[in-house]
Amino acid sequence: MSDSWQPTIVAFACQWCTYAGADLAGTSRIPYPPSVRVIKVPCSARVDPSFVIRAFQRGADGVLVSGCHPGDCHYMEGNYLTRRRFSLAKPFMSYLGLEPGRVRVEWISAAEGQRFAEIVREMTGDIRALGPNRKMRERL
Amino acid sequence: MKYGYYPGCTLHQQAEEFDVTTRESARALGIELEELDSWQCCGAVFPLATDAVINLAAPFRALAAAYEAGVELVTVCAGCLNVLRRTNNLVQNDDETRDKLVDFVEEDYAGEGRVHHLLELLRDEVGFESVSERTKRDLNGLRIAPYYGCLLLRPPDEMEFDDAEDPQILENMLAGIGAHPVSYPLRMDCCGAYLPIGELEERRNRAAVAVMRSASAAGAEAIVTSCPLCAHNLEQCAQDVPGAEMLPVLYFSQVLAYALGLDADSCGLEPDGLHAGVCEKIGIGEVK
Amino acid sequence: MRKIGVFVCHCGLNIAGTVDVKRVAERCAEIPGVVHSEDYSYMCSDPGQNLIAEAIEEKDLEGIVVAACSPTMHEPTFRAAAEAAGLNPYQVQMANIREQCSWVHPDDEEEATRKAEGIVGAAVEKVRRDEPLVPHEIPITKKAMVVGGGITGMQAALDIADAGYPVILVEREATIGGRMAQLSETFPTLDCASCILTPKMAEVGRHPLIELMAYSEVEEVSGSVGNFRVRVRQKPTYVDWDACMGCMQCQQQCPSEVESEFERGLGTKKAIGVDFPQAIPNRPKIDPEHCAHLRGDFCWLCSRSCPVDAIDYEQEERIVEEEVGAIVLSTGYDMLPQEVLGEYGYGKYPDVIDSMAFERMKSSSGPTGGEIRRPSDGEIPKEVVFIQCAGSRDPDKGQSYCSKICCMYTAKHATLYHHSVPDGQAYIFYTDVRAGGKGYEEFVQRTVEEDNALYLRGRVSRVYPEGDKILVKGVDTLSDENVEIHADLVVLATAVTPRTDAREMARIFNVGTDEHGFLNEAHIKLRPVETTTPGVYVAGAVRGPRDISDAAAEASGAASKVAMLLSREEMETDPLIAEVDEGDCSGCLWCVAACPFDAIEEKYLTRRVGDREVSRRVVEVNVGVCQGCGACTVACRDGAMNLKGYKDEQILAEVESICLIAGSQQ
Repeated sequence: MSDSWQPTIVAFACQWCTYAGADLAGTSRIPYPPSVRVIKVPCSARVDPSFVIRAFQRGADGVLVSGCHPGDCHYMEGNYLTRRRFSLAKPFMSYLGLEPGRVRVEWISAAEGQRFAEIVREMTGDIRALGPNRKMRERL
Repeated sequence: MKYGYYPGCTLHQQAEEFDVTTRESARALGIELEELDSWQCCGAVFPLATDAVINLAAPFRALAAAYEAGVELVTVCAGCLNVLRRTNNLVQNDDETRDKLVDFVEEDYAGEGRVHHLLELLRDEVGFESVSERTKRDLNGLRIAPYYGCLLLRPPDEMEFDDAEDPQILENMLAGIGAHPVSYPLRMDCCGAYLPIGELEERRNRAAVAVMRSASAAGAEAIVTSCPLCAHNLEQCAQDVPGAEMLPVLYFSQVLAYALGLDADSCGLEPDGLHAGVCEKIGIGEVK
Repeated sequence: MRKIGVFVCHCGLNIAGTVDVKRVAERCAEIPGVVHSEDYSYMCSDPGQNLIAEAIEEKDLEGIVVAACSPTMHEPTFRAAAEAAGLNPYQVQMANIREQCSWVHPDDEEEATRKAEGIVGAAVEKVRRDEPLVPHEIPITKKAMVVGGGITGMQAALDIADAGYPVILVEREATIGGRMAQLSETFPTLDCASCILTPKMAEVGRHPLIELMAYSEVEEVSGSVGNFRVRVRQKPTYVDWDACMGCMQCQQQCPSEVESEFERGLGTKKAIGVDFPQAIPNRPKIDPEHCAHLRGDFCWLCSRSCPVDAIDYEQEERIVEEEVGAIVLSTGYDMLPQEVLGEYGYGKYPDVIDSMAFERMKSSSGPTGGEIRRPSDGEIPKEVVFIQCAGSRDPDKGQSYCSKICCMYTAKHATLYHHSVPDGQAYIFYTDVRAGGKGYEEFVQRTVEEDNALYLRGRVSRVYPEGDKILVKGVDTLSDENVEIHADLVVLATAVTPRTDAREMARIFNVGTDEHGFLNEAHIKLRPVETTTPGVYVAGAVRGPRDISDAAAEASGAASKVAMLLSREEMETDPLIAEVDEGDCSGCLWCVAACPFDAIEEKYLTRRVGDREVSRRVVEVNVGVCQGCGACTVACRDGAMNLKGYKDEQILAEVESICLIAGSQQ
């Protein structure tokens, strides 16, 4: 794959922490690759693992699920649910044949614009190395 | 249950009566002690410098050997207990130190073993009530001041020997064998044994005499310790300092073995010497 | 198909400098259903908003996307504009092409424009599926409950009642007054605690809008903000308080004298009576553990002495249900148990007392009538050692935090001691003197300069009796000297701790606690008296160590929050909450387990089949409690639970749109 190929990364971001963190990357003008598309959710606990699978079915090359740091959830314990759900869902996705680097669950606070940018950069690099996702992709 | 016995240097050299009484007490209580093969000195002081790995090699070797032999270690020396137990904690929790020790000593050991003080076995395995039932002599309410010193209890979160501010293990043992444990303020203070270097000797004496005086003021007729260094230091200071109160200092195993039936001579009791008062009170020789 | 409008903002050059906004608007116009698409320099400006309003009105738009900045910036602006033009405000979506696009991809116009197309496209798919939503309106019970009748709870109850709302004040003990009733004088003014407290207690007692439920505890709370149902257990006092006149004949006659917890072990009390003479309500209770009659002995002395026959040995506890709109928790604090402080001999030596015992000693209505005397022999102590941080700032043995009030009350104690025993000497072992407060530092300086207190910076290692004195060994770290003081009395400034049952209370009211057990506020700085449970407020030492000034300020703060809530007839709640399709719900209750707010309850649907009634379990979302996190939607196996504004089909439509547009751009 050439370096110019732009993977598509769907990012589910909780509105209290990660979405605000992504905004902070913007207001701080921290550049990162234009691969990521953010879907705002109230809490990372709103992210059904089936959303992630659907993204891959429709041709996404990577998915980021991100919320507040454990202990900081605006809804007290929503991100603990996320952590539990995805500790089960991630092995299942690799069982389906998906390379582990394509799905990441990260805690990014509203103050971590830099971290948001770094994670997008890292994921983009990793996925470029893996190439386009063909495992679950459906012909539309 | 069989245990690996780690006597420590003092019990093998200067204070053989401590060793004899420990073995005899254990035997009388059904605790099988088998001396660890070719053990060496624990180092006596647990090193506080984080890079002092070499000082840990000896205790590590003893711990690994006991584990290899499939036994848990037992000691009666506060210093050995302190060094062995803390070394074992470190080996369990500090990967870097463990790796260095494993490479150096060439024994594969990760802190799986355990280290006991005989008193802990009496409390947790045998039970003081059971000890009481097996006594053959009555100590006739001898007023004994239990003396803990520093090393058994501290640091509390590592030693987990007893309540570090209000320990009761010696008191309960003494009460179990028919003595009268005396409560006095300085039972957990340092005896000063680590101070006699250069001009600090004066301070050493002051610390030890204060302990002696505190016990004596509370009406004690003897002091009992579980630290050979404390025992030596208290006794020595009381002799060195003119006008100091002089209480006989006994090792806990001496009174224990005596109560369990061992003869006074083997227990190291000197009816004509230092222990005259004690022996008179407890009536040497009689077995019930 | 719904008619959608798209409005692409240039934000001057903030967006248009990087993103080809015209191309974005043109591409969007090609999306099916988009009947209006335009770009403008500043959408948030008045002309920009007018463009939106005109388009909504002219083209009957049923949803709009504003592609501009982050929704945190201007979503309220555009929602209001849409509402003014007749569109439901929840049919507005922001496409964030500034913070999350133009500002982070400044060097690649083509990629930034492509990304913007993807972002706007997804928002179009989302808004197409947005339903018009209206906030829920729930009626409010215009009554409050304050739990804990110390100075904080009293202040809160009085403020709420003075605002015109009825208040139920629940107090665990038989009298209100709390810790402050035990105090002698208060810093930094040295006014006597009773003199400022008892008038307030009387005011609470006679306020027509305050219902006092003394000797009562909250058992259970259900419902939500505006409409809580609270079960209160009224413990038996064995005295008919309605009949009783408070003459206290019974207390005088009672033969059982027991140690008084109120007097901190320095004094006694009778098995019937009040803790202190100014108690409110001024009604006695029987302590069943010590009452001879209730223990089966032949004693009727209190019953016989009562002129109105109010003694009722058969009295049983009562459960009372109350409905309130808001709750203030102000249950205060405890002090570190004496077992923790073994090295100071507290509990072992009678002349080692804690600061609360010193307060009782100094109190003119206390066990020594206000005179400072050694508990052991009643002598006046000539050397008194005060030990600060007894259990505070000590993560190994006590509490890691600073108890905050000890520096000030110890300075106060030393001052009071000097006033009582001018030829005595007070020594104070301290860690740091923390005297941040109005007039506090000056007070401490006076204690040193005028009242002769000797401050020693360091900790105490040992405390034990020597003769009839108490030997205190410590270190003065400023002179690096060991210090030994032969004291007559030792006073420990013991750590302030949470109530022992604070965690249980936190569970009952669904409020969080910190690692120690103090109740958590919603935000430690900006929402200090609110909790994460709407309608439940916290004030005073239940949050952490507080002095009276801070506790009173928080009480008034919480009271004004309550008054704000109760001043409304109805309460609007955010419509972006979970909703359940009862037809699809199988009643498995997995959502109940997932909900962090206990907002989901089970209920039964019954219908008639032939001549039988068939009932089926489903769940119901409490609209007053649901906070809209969506955890339940993922837990739902049946797809019956959905989150308004973030429905499954909306999120999936966004996912599909993103992938589709990105695919077409490759």
